[in-house]
Amino acid sequence: MNEFKIAQREASNVNVLELRGYLDAHTAPKLEEAFQTLLKTNRTNIVVNCKDLSYISSAGLGVFMAYIEDVRNKSGDIKLTNMSNKVYNVFDLLGFPLLYEIFKDESEAVKKFNDKK
Amino acid sequence: MATARRTSRSSASSSYESYFEHTALFEFSKVINSSLDPRFIYSHILLTIMGKILSSKGMVIVEKESRHFNVVMAKGFSQDVVGTSMHIRQIPPSIFLVDKVNATKYPWVKFFKRLGVKILLPMYMADTPIGLLAFGERFSKKKLHSREVTYLRSLANISATAIEKSRTFDELQQVNRKLDRKIQELNTLFDLSKEFGSLLDAEKLIRLLEFSLLGQVGVNRYIICLRQGSDVRVAASRVDGPVPQAELLQTLFKLKATVPVAHLSASGVQNARDVLTGLRMALVVPMGLQGENKGLMILGERLSGNPYEEIDYEFLTSLANLAIISLENARLFKEAIEKQRMEDELLIARDIQKGLLPNVLPAIPGFDIAAANISSKQVGGDYYDVIPADNNRHVIAIGDVSGKGTPAALLMASIQASIRALVPLNLSLSELTGRVNDLMCENTGGNKFVTFFWGFVDPVAMTLNYVNAGHNYPYLIHADGSIDRLDKGGMILGVLKTLMPYEEATVRLTHGDLLLLFTDGVSEAMSHDSMEYGEERIEAVLRKYGREPAQRIIELLHEDIIQHADGAQQSDDITMMVLKVA
Repeated sequence: MNEFKIAQREASNVNVLELRGYLDAHTAPKLEEAFQTLLKTNRTNIVVNCKDLSYISSAGLGVFMAYIEDVRNKSGDIKLTNMSNKVYNVFDLLGFPLLYEIFKDESEAVKKFNDKK
Repeated sequence: MATARRTSRSSASSSYESYFEHTALFEFSKVINSSLDPRFIYSHILLTIMGKILSSKGMVIVEKESRHFNVVMAKGFSQDVVGTSMHIRQIPPSIFLVDKVNATKYPWVKFFKRLGVKILLPMYMADTPIGLLAFGERFSKKKLHSREVTYLRSLANISATAIEKSRTFDELQQVNRKLDRKIQELNTLFDLSKEFGSLLDAEKLIRLLEFSLLGQVGVNRYIICLRQGSDVRVAASRVDGPVPQAELLQTLFKLKATVPVAHLSASGVQNARDVLTGLRMALVVPMGLQGENKGLMILGERLSGNPYEEIDYEFLTSLANLAIISLENARLFKEAIEKQRMEDELLIARDIQKGLLPNVLPAIPGFDIAAANISSKQVGGDYYDVIPADNNRHVIAIGDVSGKGTPAALLMASIQASIRALVPLNLSLSELTGRVNDLMCENTGGNKFVTFFWGFVDPVAMTLNYVNAGHNYPYLIHADGSIDRLDKGGMILGVLKTLMPYEEATVRLTHGDLLLLFTDGVSEAMSHDSMEYGEERIEAVLRKYGREPAQRIIELLHEDIIQHADGAQQSDDITMMVLKVA
């Protein structure tokens, strides 16, 4: 089974979450927890790197939706990067590119955060 | 050379032009068929023809749906015309000049006249018109030569094919995308059914449902409420403002199918419509189970701004049904666990109670003694005991603890312990009763009580010395048929500390006397129509069967109670003790 894992690191004042494996109804609470922790400590410049994300279900997308407002209310943002075509297709189908900035590469998203300052 | 000469002989200059035109047509066809992008195709058609006829204005009009045509691109005309929609019933089959067209037959031509269009070029696929190309006046103001007309018709035909191809491709892409979305929805339902099926925690289920709404439907304002009996409970909500009152939500449970909030007035729930509109809610999705609404999902507008369509209703209905089945399962599971827990507790209570009652009653010389305790479903706190004391005396006791289940059984155990500990102290029955009462008051804080009757049977003096602390008066039926009700004593135990000593009394016992101690489970045994068994019937049985042995009397009494109850479930234990003087 393609397990789901989140690795967290900081890159130039941006919090990067690297997702790996299957993000579905079963594993969605893990991502929720990660967002909650970041929010609690006011670390709201968040880049989610999807390089090793092999599948995302709508419940997984729901977690992004559930936290974007809170993050933006604290003048942060969630930016998404490095998606495989398969994963991007799901985001695209459900209209996410209208609501989220999606970058080809993590460095572009990090740069965007830092340029803002 | 010979071939060339033959050609040149047939028609020298026209063949050169024809060669040039064929090459140009071929090039044109190659270019517009190289792309599926309609904008590129429209633009190339316009530029080619505008260059050919030397006109500075061109427009592409394409059929959107049956006989409805839209201006999709304009060059040289004001851009405001792009998007103009018109109804065209009929199009002439060939190229035509606007000024010469019969306006009664083709009323839509007025629109083009007004814009300064001079030449209209229909585009046909076989016999079906798919659009028009419109152009302004030629710079040269020259009429179109018949060769030019033929050439333009060829261009229009090639254009029609290319436009149709790109349109089909576009439709195909849209169908594909819809299909992809359906697959995605199915995946979501499949994914959730797996997850929902394995979850028995209502809170987690609701959270998952929220995620799915957020992710799949793209909605971030919602109310999920569930019906519990006749109440409505909001299980999750994300709204800008206070969640509507339960009474208002209640009215929405009448809905049988998914309904946009804007249509609510038709269902006679106008107030709900106004409140929900105020909260920017857009859709109400009932969560049905076996034809009954068990819950509602009220959804806000979608973040994408796209309205909800029938195709979304299907998904939402499936999602709602899936979720409510799982929520209902979780509820039933919780109930089953709770029921099991209570049954386990009752078993414990029953075990405690049975363990306290004497297995075999000690024999009292010259007496025939028997007792029985039949527990009810809920297990009451009945107690009886026979304890050997000093000088052949025996203590007989019966009591009924308030409440049911384990707490009653435990209190009963403490009473048994205290009387067994106190009896050897050689105190009067009145004093002993006072002490038992005080101990109980200390232990229970006055919120539990016991009705209690006890006494010393003295087989030598042939007496019964007793105290009745608020218990049903025992029957003492003398051999001569006279009856004593043993009512001397005082307060029930456990309510107030002993201020006044309990009154004790002594009755004489003679050969043939019959003593019955019983709890209110006997006198208040209920029939189906809520009739109590009653003391008259107890007395009648005792009078009728008083000569039978003690054990038999108990059996007969029990049989009579069973007959009265006629299968009605009893809420209280039935306990009795019979003592006969041999």
